[in-house]
Amino acid sequence: MDMTTIFGDYTAFAPMLILMVSALLLPGVQMLTKRRTVTWAFAFVMTIVAMAVNIIMLTGDFTGSSLGLVEYDGFTGLMNALFLAVLFLAVLVSNASVETTRLHVGAYYALMIGATVGMMFVASSSDLLTIFVGVELTSISSYALVALKRNDARSAEAAVKYVIIGGMSTALTLYGISMLYGLTGTTVIADIANNLTEMNWMVAIAFISMIAGYGFKIAAGPFHMWAPDVYEGAATPVSMFLATGSKKMGLAVFIQIFMVLFAAGTTCADIIGEEVQYLFAIIAAITMTVGNIVAIAQNNIKRMLAYSSIAQAGYILIILAVMNEYALTAGLFHMITHVFMKGGAFLIVGALICVGLGEKISDYKGLAKRAPFLAFAMMLFLFSLAGIPPLAGFTSKFFLFSSAIGGVDGVTSQWVWLAFVAILNSAISLYYYARVVKAMYIEKGTTTEKVKIPAAFMVAIVICVLAVIVLGIFPDAVFELCEGAAAVVMG
Amino acid sequence: MIPIEYFLVLGAILFAIGAYGALTKSNAIIVLMCIELMLNAANINFVAFGAFNADVMGQAFVVMSISVAAAEVAVGIAILLNAYKLRKTTELDDKQLRSMRW
Repeated sequence: MDMTTIFGDYTAFAPMLILMVSALLLPGVQMLTKRRTVTWAFAFVMTIVAMAVNIIMLTGDFTGSSLGLVEYDGFTGLMNALFLAVLFLAVLVSNASVETTRLHVGAYYALMIGATVGMMFVASSSDLLTIFVGVELTSISSYALVALKRNDARSAEAAVKYVIIGGMSTALTLYGISMLYGLTGTTVIADIANNLTEMNWMVAIAFISMIAGYGFKIAAGPFHMWAPDVYEGAATPVSMFLATGSKKMGLAVFIQIFMVLFAAGTTCADIIGEEVQYLFAIIAAITMTVGNIVAIAQNNIKRMLAYSSIAQAGYILIILAVMNEYALTAGLFHMITHVFMKGGAFLIVGALICVGLGEKISDYKGLAKRAPFLAFAMMLFLFSLAGIPPLAGFTSKFFLFSSAIGGVDGVTSQWVWLAFVAILNSAISLYYYARVVKAMYIEKGTTTEKVKIPAAFMVAIVICVLAVIVLGIFPDAVFELCEGAAAVVMG
Repeated sequence: MIPIEYFLVLGAILFAIGAYGALTKSNAIIVLMCIELMLNAANINFVAFGAFNADVMGQAFVVMSISVAAAEVAVGIAILLNAYKLRKTTELDDKQLRSMRW
């Protein structure tokens, strides 16, 4: 089916357009029907429609641009599919969760969909202006989403931290962008790449403040302090949405800006490429080490998962150090598998909160007896995050770390030390993941009463389990999509 | 005509004041105001560069960033109000707003 017959000039916008319209309608739907389930169904159906449109466009190899603002290509399609998958999982469980708001259901879904539109905007733009606006759309919606659990003091505290740190990162990035604009007279990234011809202090300020500002958004070390608080304070479906979706948006920004600026052959890469690569390598090493080491000390499972997702962002940052097409392919693939393994783990935590289990790891004692499937699924997700074959996490980490080692053309790259740090970190991470598995399977709980979780959670968890297993054993189809996307970005 | 350096220095000074305030002040409302200063420093840069390059993109960016900053402050103040209702404080180094650490 050809989408241009329906959407005309706005085809590159199509999935976003559907979501934008539904986000605007959702508060009205809630106000008129006053039924949570109707609002939920509307949001859910619109998500599926957007997803279907995006998949048709992606598999039909659609390319094009609309209004000179938004471009749709293989990379956009893949990232859109990823963000929509996150939205799908989050919306699917939101109605069944006891943590989501009972008061402002329309606003809740509208904000969540708005945040997704921002993410998709980032993935489809090649201009600093649209990237800036997209990032802010996601961020501002996320602040409100975190604060929506209105009577919870932890959520209020998390939202205050999030909005202040987010605001500072916005100011930093904007200052950096203004410097780049002043130097080159344009905000189109591909033009900036070739208009920067000499190194001076303005270039340094521009890049340092942009890397720091967007580093806050992906919670890269040493700018990660907000993430555990926010993921702990927010409702679990929202934590899941932020940890898997919002973080991928930040990484998409890095890919869109820095992979294009420093692709081989640009003048920008000549003057400052090497330094930026080293900077990213150091940030990646710090991020994964901090994430994994602090995660060991956590007793709250949401906090532990938050630190683990900081560490995962560190692994993905390897692509910006290595900066070649194979690394980007591997990074995109890891981003996709991360959605399902981290999303699945958060979903199980959310499901268990619904049936009255706590967030402490000690609350999970004897879970294998009480809910055999959930315990098994949790084990799969955690082992996948740690990188144990044959699960998806192993496959994607294998590609990612091997890109740092190099050897595609028989030459070992200079980033072998980074791969070494990453593998060491994976070993550390196994320790705290295994702690949860030990609590579930070996330690005895106080009761053996069976646990029954809401059906929506069950469906979402089964989807994640299937994805983690299938992507681990048959990565080919998705890996090819990633290859196509990486080729588009690297030109 | 005023040389562009003057604008850039003004922007840099504003940015530094904002950053200093945001990092040292403990009242969340003052911190939000300092963040506004930082954003406006960047806006001054944009307008100056736009005028000197005879390019409208700078102005367009400023219009966008002003509206983004307004939205951000609106949400930020709402969040602070909610936090004040629950925790009775807007001081960021108060124990009430530091229950979660590490």
